[in-house]
Amino acid sequence: MENNKELPKFAVLQLSGCSGCEVSLLNSEEWINNVNLVYMPLVVTTNKIPDGVEVLLVSGGVRTDEDIHNLLKGRSRAKKLIAVGTCALSGGVAQIRDEHPARESFVQSSHRLRMPDMLPHGYPLDKYVTVDLYLPGCPPTPELFMTALKDIEGVKIASIVCQECGRKKLQDMRPTTITGMRSGVTLPDICLVNQGYFCVGTSTRGGCGALCTRPGHACVGCRGPANPYLNKEPSFVLDNLRKVFTRMTDIPEEEINEALESPWLSLFLDQFTDYTQDETLPTRTKDKFI
Amino acid sequence: MTTITYPLSRIEGHARVVIDIHDDEVFRADFQAMEMRGFGHYVRGIPAEQITVIVPRICGVCSTAHQVASVKALEDLFGVVPPPLAEEIREVLLLGQLIQNQATSLFIFTMPDRVNASSLFELSESEEGKARQFSLAQIALRIRKIGTDLISLAGGQFIHPIKTTIGGVTSGIPRSKADEMIKAIDELLPVAGELVDIYWDLSLKMGDRIGSWGDDEPTYYLASTEADDFRLNSKRLRLMCPEGRECQNFNPHEYESYLQVEDSAYSYAGISSFRGEIMRANSLARINLTNSFGTPKADSFLKRFVETFGRPAHAIMFFDICRGIELVYALEKARQMLEKDLEHGETEVGYTPRDGVGYGLVEAPRGPLLHHYEVENGLIKSADFVIPTVHNMLAIRRALMVVAKRYVSVDGIDSELGRAVGRVVRAFDPCIACATK
Repeated sequence: MENNKELPKFAVLQLSGCSGCEVSLLNSEEWINNVNLVYMPLVVTTNKIPDGVEVLLVSGGVRTDEDIHNLLKGRSRAKKLIAVGTCALSGGVAQIRDEHPARESFVQSSHRLRMPDMLPHGYPLDKYVTVDLYLPGCPPTPELFMTALKDIEGVKIASIVCQECGRKKLQDMRPTTITGMRSGVTLPDICLVNQGYFCVGTSTRGGCGALCTRPGHACVGCRGPANPYLNKEPSFVLDNLRKVFTRMTDIPEEEINEALESPWLSLFLDQFTDYTQDETLPTRTKDKFI
Repeated sequence: MTTITYPLSRIEGHARVVIDIHDDEVFRADFQAMEMRGFGHYVRGIPAEQITVIVPRICGVCSTAHQVASVKALEDLFGVVPPPLAEEIREVLLLGQLIQNQATSLFIFTMPDRVNASSLFELSESEEGKARQFSLAQIALRIRKIGTDLISLAGGQFIHPIKTTIGGVTSGIPRSKADEMIKAIDELLPVAGELVDIYWDLSLKMGDRIGSWGDDEPTYYLASTEADDFRLNSKRLRLMCPEGRECQNFNPHEYESYLQVEDSAYSYAGISSFRGEIMRANSLARINLTNSFGTPKADSFLKRFVETFGRPAHAIMFFDICRGIELVYALEKARQMLEKDLEHGETEVGYTPRDGVGYGLVEAPRGPLLHHYEVENGLIKSADFVIPTVHNMLAIRRALMVVAKRYVSVDGIDSELGRAVGRVVRAFDPCIACATK
């Protein structure tokens, strides 16, 4: 809490994002007591990242020239850079997917009054700078922030969401259609896939504590692909999900395929795999992921 | 012509104040949003039922309000009525958000202005000052955490919550968890009251030094809470006219005949008005439109407020003080609600999707938030988000003009101006991510 000059200098830079990561970070009391917070416009009167920053957290995607400028400046002044949140890793949840018709409507209406100069695409941080650690999540929980800020060697993160969910997968409860919330009944303790939800926890990186699935909401994949799918092309994750639903349900193939095209999947899971299609981006290794 | 630009910190998002001075006179004072979220475009064409997961991402500070407004809009559209227990749990969720937001605005965003620090976490020079600030910050963060814990409990997670779904909520609140929260509130409610007192006094003291924050002119006030029922899971909008009379009362689906929403030429955010007239939303609007909270501590603060400052009260500095009253109310009300059984009973009902038009209203910390969707063939054809910060845009602009005129004269530009514009903007607690949805 105290702005002790002996503590390591710590900075938080927000690019194009929603502030959710910052708000989550504010709940990590342990952190706030142990750093000298020199830059975080949300809570500190500052306009400039000073030199000699030990750790720089960057949230949000790169959408504007200003984002690029701030990111490069920040990187040059910090020893260690941690990319936090889905946007920083994927370019931004706001873009859904570039080929989506909504994108067109946005670009068309950008002629109306003033609009910021936007890049043709939202980019992840590692398109421009070296990232020392990746912390995906929308947003990452305070606990994950704490883990990321410690020495991560030997830290074990649940490989997939199911590991922390605790809902039981049943052999004989096979839905024939995706009903989602329409049924109006969510049984406790039983796997959401068995109950007709399009839950993607089986392919999604764990560590979140299964915050969504435990109370009964399908996982939408905000932590991105689990380790085996890092650096794999998008179809790899989708194939895995297809297999899960074929094995656990009697939902017709066309319906599964349609669900795999869902915008909420592209919002998270696809976005992470997009980077594998861009040859200018570095390979991300699992030892750099929390 | 001289142009001065003040980048702003301790608010949500990227924004700045730009003041043009011509011949020692203030020519223009604008509040500019510097980013663009664009969700109104991105969500076109997506399956309607998926929008409730996507739109909270407009803003991590206000995600709770967006999620509930979104679900309510689809419930309106599908013709589904959630069970009473679900409505109660949603109210607890929104109270959690009010606590979180008002504590953040009061202590993290605006308290530093009152103690002349750059942040709540800044080291003060004297040992005494240091100790005081340290404990103040600790307590402030603990009160804020009650809010985030309540959101987690009623919403699943405290940013981008998920428990509110079309037809109700996915699960109730277990007795043991409710009891833990009650214990935490009992411990911190008296402290919160004291902190609000301190904040109140500090604000008035600062007022003695610098006058009111600028712009005390009577204006219209917009809120969706009721005069004697401060329910945030709200149903109707109310408008108070400048002389203090409630002069309009309307349904969400009628909003377009009362509220005029336009793009602005100087900012990436839009502006809204009551048929062209400047209005204000947020804490001061609600307090002006509230007769009673129905909880003892908040009502005694309300009485003190009305007796001291009158009704309606117009000075901008009151926005911050009103946030303090609401913080106390939300803690008291959440405690009351957690006493009830929120664990057993029907939490959700089924539904069948259909096409049409739907409206979802909630009272967000910054004012009435309205989602308006049109669904065709199961897909979102258009989505409108009527944003609380946008209701305040004209009021912010007018207030900045007043304050700029105060500090710019033939003698030059008073160095206080930079701090003054920060205080004015923070009083409205704007959210730029939402405003540029």
